[in-house]
Amino acid sequence: MLMRRSIQVNGAATAVLATADCVAPLVLLSGGMPGVTPYCSGPHIWGRSLDVLAHERDVLAFDLGSAAGEPGADLGIDVLLGHVRATLAALGITRCHVIAHDLAGLIALLLAAESPTLIRGVSVVSSVAAAPSGDGIDNLCFAHPPLPQWSRAAQRWALEQVSYSHQHIDGALLDACVAAAATSSVARDDFFMPSLYAAKASLYEICRGAGVPVPVQTIWGSHDPLGALEQGLALYQIIAARQPATQFHVLNRAGSLPFREEPEAFLQVVRAFGEVVFPG
Amino acid sequence: MAMNHVIADPRSGTQASVPLPAARRIDVDGIGTRYYEAGSGETIVFIYGGSFGTSDSASSAHTWNLNLLPLAGRFRVIAFDKIGQGHTDNPKHDDYTMAAVVRHGAGFLRAMRLPPVHLVGHSRGGYAAARLTLEHHDLVRSLTLVNSGTLSPGVGTNEVVLARPPFPKGSAECVRWVYRNYSFNPAAVTDDWVATVLEVLALPKYRQSIERVEGARLGATLFLPALAREKRETLQWINEGRLQRPVQVIWGSEDRTATLSRGLELFHMLARHERRVQFHAFAQAGHFPFREHPARFNALLGQFVAASAA
Repeated sequence: MLMRRSIQVNGAATAVLATADCVAPLVLLSGGMPGVTPYCSGPHIWGRSLDVLAHERDVLAFDLGSAAGEPGADLGIDVLLGHVRATLAALGITRCHVIAHDLAGLIALLLAAESPTLIRGVSVVSSVAAAPSGDGIDNLCFAHPPLPQWSRAAQRWALEQVSYSHQHIDGALLDACVAAAATSSVARDDFFMPSLYAAKASLYEICRGAGVPVPVQTIWGSHDPLGALEQGLALYQIIAARQPATQFHVLNRAGSLPFREEPEAFLQVVRAFGEVVFPG
Repeated sequence: MAMNHVIADPRSGTQASVPLPAARRIDVDGIGTRYYEAGSGETIVFIYGGSFGTSDSASSAHTWNLNLLPLAGRFRVIAFDKIGQGHTDNPKHDDYTMAAVVRHGAGFLRAMRLPPVHLVGHSRGGYAAARLTLEHHDLVRSLTLVNSGTLSPGVGTNEVVLARPPFPKGSAECVRWVYRNYSFNPAAVTDDWVATVLEVLALPKYRQSIERVEGARLGATLFLPALAREKRETLQWINEGRLQRPVQVIWGSEDRTATLSRGLELFHMLARHERRVQFHAFAQAGHFPFREHPARFNALLGQFVAASAA
């Protein structure tokens, strides 16, 4: 049974969703770029997958958007990484398996490289932020959003843009996204993007050198409008060069939110990976 | 990829000798057929790869020894020897064709009176499993295809990677060389694996199949041309959307004989028509991911079968 808790992280109140026992949990980290992504993520983004997992084992869910700091201040990857690190420490978690979506995938991989005894395995889900892009062409998925930003209509549009099918977008999801918009941190583009590129370079340096020291599975939707399948495959291959327990999974008829569009297939691959690399 | 640059993987599961249940026999349309069976529940039937009448290697149901009993705690698991391979009788009337393999596989499922099963097919066995499903949907509940270059579109590189082994055919050195070239980690080719291959190669009935397939050239004049024709038809059927079962395609990324790109192409063909299709790749695994990373392979298969259960 998931319960909402408010804990102090670096002196600021931070909301998390957690099961009663939360010593060695499955940690679900939602992504989205604070202030940039046109839908507002949070634990609600996992939909039914979160509820099902919480019935099976200890689960903790929180998001990057609640990172402490002044609005518009120097919010970069280091701050987000510190937020995740501090949240886990505040809850007394000493070992966990992280399932991380989008930007959180990059954060989780960096944290695993830093603390492999804390992070025992990582499931990276549809993480364009972690995948290489090189001098690719710009992605037009969010090119012309309706205004005002983060309104209910604008977030519905954004969620449809990243999905294979609109069927999973319901009133409860939109309510939660609109609520999340009110509390989300906002990153300054001129500060955040350089920090993102620096963090990606750090990850690739790790992959080229000692390797990510824990098992990693990369999960991708077959029809992800934000990141081509080739990007997911490239991320898998970069990690696999040094980490033998690396897997790549493609789920059919899913976009950037495969845990919402194909929850059964998503749960199946996450459970299979987890039962071997981190039985709990 | 140099082995001294990789991180040890304690989660791969043991690659040491894992016993099989006691062998049994059943008559399948006049063909004495050896099989192994254990466990209860949803039924998984494994079809291994390779072909009859080859003198440099010889597959048998032992190929699945790292998977059968570990999965038997949750499922009814069965691995049988294909016609002309392992300890199963040779085909009658020199019918050394893939069509005979598929017919015998379907006959085995019927003779065993099995419910619709979860078929797992590797390499040439992946082709047989897919073709069996296309011809007999009523016998199959789900399909797992593992590194099947025989089924995938594109160019196979077996004949390049495994051309002319530098050891006498039928020798332990030759067998070890073949399976090491199939594998990412040479240590995956264990002595017990090699020993079971040599045991099959020494069987009089297997020597006879070598005489027919290699000696009388039925491999080049019958098996391969017929397979090429039937493969065209099989891929056409898949492209038409006739394979209407949940399918997962599993691939060892470092397979040099059936490259990863071919597995992805097969996935895309299947995924166009059937929602319940998935693709999974294992790093640092060659042609036999279920032997190089058995624990994670078994977990993936178990979850897929559970999700596809009746």
